[in-house]
This record gives sequence, C-alpha cells and structure tokens, in this order.
Amino acid sequence: MNPSPAVAVTGLTVRHRRTVALDRLDLSLGPGVHGLLGPNGAGKTSLIRVLATVAAPSSGRVELLGGDVASHRDRTGVRRRLGYLPQDFGYYPSFTVREFVAYVAWLKELPADRVPAAVERAVERVGLADRIDARMKTLSGGMVRRAGIAQAIVNEPDLLLLDEPTAGLDPEQRVDFRELLRELGREATVVVSTHLVEDVAAACTDVALIEAGRLAFQGATDELTALGGESGAPDDSTTHAVERGYTAALRAHRASDVRTSGAHPKEALR
Amino acid sequence: MRLYLRSRALPGTLAALAGTAAVAAWAAWWLVSLPGFDHTARLPVVVFGPLLAAAAVGASLHAPSDELDRTAVRAWWPRRLAHALAPTVLAVALFALALPGHAEEYGAPAAVRNTLGLVGVTVGAAAVVGARLSWLPPVFLVGVVYLAAPSEPGGVAQWWAWVMQPGWQGGAWTVAVSVFVAGTCAYGWRGARYVTGGS
Repeated sequence: MNPSPAVAVTGLTVRHRRTVALDRLDLSLGPGVHGLLGPNGAGKTSLIRVLATVAAPSSGRVELLGGDVASHRDRTGVRRRLGYLPQDFGYYPSFTVREFVAYVAWLKELPADRVPAAVERAVERVGLADRIDARMKTLSGGMVRRAGIAQAIVNEPDLLLLDEPTAGLDPEQRVDFRELLRELGREATVVVSTHLVEDVAAACTDVALIEAGRLAFQGATDELTALGGESGAPDDSTTHAVERGYTAALRAHRASDVRTSGAHPKEALR
Repeated sequence: MRLYLRSRALPGTLAALAGTAAVAAWAAWWLVSLPGFDHTARLPVVVFGPLLAAAAVGASLHAPSDELDRTAVRAWWPRRLAHALAPTVLAVALFALALPGHAEEYGAPAAVRNTLGLVGVTVGAAAVVGARLSWLPPVFLVGVVYLAAPSEPGGVAQWWAWVMQPGWQGGAWTVAVSVFVAGTCAYGWRGARYVTGGS
C-alpha cells in the first residue's frame, strides 16, 4: 500500500438536515480505479461531493493528495489536481464543447497557454473530437456525459471523482469508457460511483461498498467476486459472480449491523 | 474570463439594464408632460424602474454550472461580489441620469436609493431562494408598500415605506443602504442557493 494514500478519510460524518448520509466513515484509497458501490441513498454522492471539496463534512477528517481539505491553503492545491464529474452537472447551453471544457480548465487555473491543447486532448480521449465545436444544447445525453468526463480530465488530475459516469452511455461507449478508466487509473486515483456492478467488474481494481452511510466492504474486485461463489439456485437472477458478491456482502453487512446495534434506523425504511 | 462572463448572460443583463433605464427616462418624461401632472407624477417610475433593474441583476446571478464552480481553485466570493456590484453600479449610474431635475421629489436621488435597496433585497433573496426566483420577494415588498404607504412623506413610515419616499429622507436611505449591504454580503458569502433540476 502506498504510504500516503490519495484519499484518507477518518470518522467522516455528513448530515443533511436530520438524516445522516455518512456515518463515521473511514476510507483510504491509493492509485488505481476504485468502484464505489451501494444501494440508492447509501451516501455515495455525499461521499463524492465531500471528496470533491464541494460539500463540507459535518465532522471528521478528510485528507486528499496529502493535504487537509479543512485548511484553505491545502484545499487550493488539492483543487488544482482534482477532476470531478458531478452526477447532475449544469452547463451554459450556448457553450460549445470546446468552450465548456476550456471554462473548467480556467476554473482549475491551468496556464492559459496550455489550455487549447489540453482541451483538445481531453475531448479526443472521450471520443468527441468530431463534435468539439458543437453547442452543448445540441448534444445527445450520452455526448453531454462524455463532455462532462472531458472537463473532469482536462487538468490531468491526480484524483478523479466520477459520479455515475456511465449513465446515458450506450454499450459501445461504455466499453470505450472502461478502457479510458483503466488507462487513467495507471497513474491517478480514480473513484467511480455507480449502480452498474458490471462496470466495476470490467474496469475497477478495487471496490468500496457503502450501505446506509457506512463502509460494508472494501477490497479487490476479485475478493468481492469470490464472496459471491458459485451460482446456487437455478432461478438465480444474478448474471455475474460479482453481482452475487455484491449482494452477499450487503447482506452480511446488514446482518452484522442488526446484531450490533439492534434494528438499523434506515433499515426499517427499506 | 471571457467564457465566465458569457456564461453569466452578461450581454443580456447589460441590455436589460440599459433598456430599463431608457424606458424609465421616457416614461418619466411622458408622465410629466401629461396635462395636469407635474414632476411628482414620477413616483411609479422611481419605484418600478429600479424594481425591474433589480430583477435583471438577480436573474443574472443564476449560475448554470454551480456544482463545477464550487471546485474552482480560487476563492469564489470576490467574483460573486464583483458580479453583484458591477451591474448595480451601472444601474445606479443609469438611473441617476434617467431622471433629471427636481431632485427633492421623485428624482434621481430617490431612484438611486431604490435601486440600491431593491438590488439588496433581490440579491439577498437569491442567496435564500435561488437566483431564478430572486425577483419575487422584492416584487411582493414593493407591491405591499405601494398600496399601503401613506401619502405624506417622512415620519415613521419612511422606515418601512422607504421605497415611496420622495427624496433625501434619512430613515429611508438608512434602510435602503443597510439592506443593500446586508443582501450583497449574504450573497457574497453564500452564493445563490443551488436549486437542482434547473440547468
């Protein structure tokens, strides 16, 4: 393990009004592609937003790329080296793809002389080179998503956070995107939040599974797959071993939660 | 920087402000020229002109890419402040020119005061309800005050009916300027409230 991980989170708690989105979460991530899995409302987006320095945690310590994000100076340095694709990112509809990506490059304070080349490279990497001068409002959903990925990688980030990046991509684009993920993960720390277990199986080296604001499982993708074991019943509706592993890990976590703390408050709602 | 300004619909805002001031100037001139009306007939212009200008400023605070802007390396509040202040300065200058003569009764000073105060209300509202709806609270305020204010200027009414005061009443100015400062600070500190679903 890397001595200074790109992401080191201890005791992270995030509250939205009265509900607890993240509950004393500890997490440490090094280089590679990390899949962030979990049911809806488990706290994936809350975690990504804290890591992106967009939301402030209610309590806990967040260290990114060796800097403490609570300190203003460290946060500034971290933001230069951070790429972030929000789940629901807004854009100015009259911008072209080139202008949109250049705008984010300006936010990240890329030196002005490097911006044009960086923008073209980022757009090319997501396969949108032929539409680079098209206006954002004329793009299809999948293209907008790819433009979003392009803005996230324009500064060649050391820490890349992608919230549901494959939503709206067709199967072929998803295959290309996984290839890009693997390429990015060779040098950077990439965190991909997703619902799609097969994306994780195909592109991620490690998995963190979050359930009700807590870490339910963390390990290599192979380990999660191994948890699933062989397909048991003939009417088993899971198609992948990793899907069975996901379900098994979730159930094991829920069972241990009930044993330690009685009925989990969020559990009753499910 | 150029892209930033474009993404905030700056050209549209400038055009709206200039247009509002031009219409206000024309309306003031027209009202005064009507038989039996004098310069005191400019009251609606002094109230509703700045209200429109404030609404334009408020609408321009809408940021389409708020979530991404929050990852900007540089602190964002100076930009927000500049964004709220620059069009206000322009609006104040335009209204100061739009209503010449009779400064003591519904002239330039009253228009400037109302511009400041109503921009303060609008910009403060943007921090609470989001930029898109920021025009609602000042419209409501002006609507109520316009109907309820006593016709005699000054007195206690100047503290709450500051929008309706004809000129240099100290209380009205105090309220307008404090509202402006408070609203701008709230917006600079918090930013427009992010409303999901509007892209």
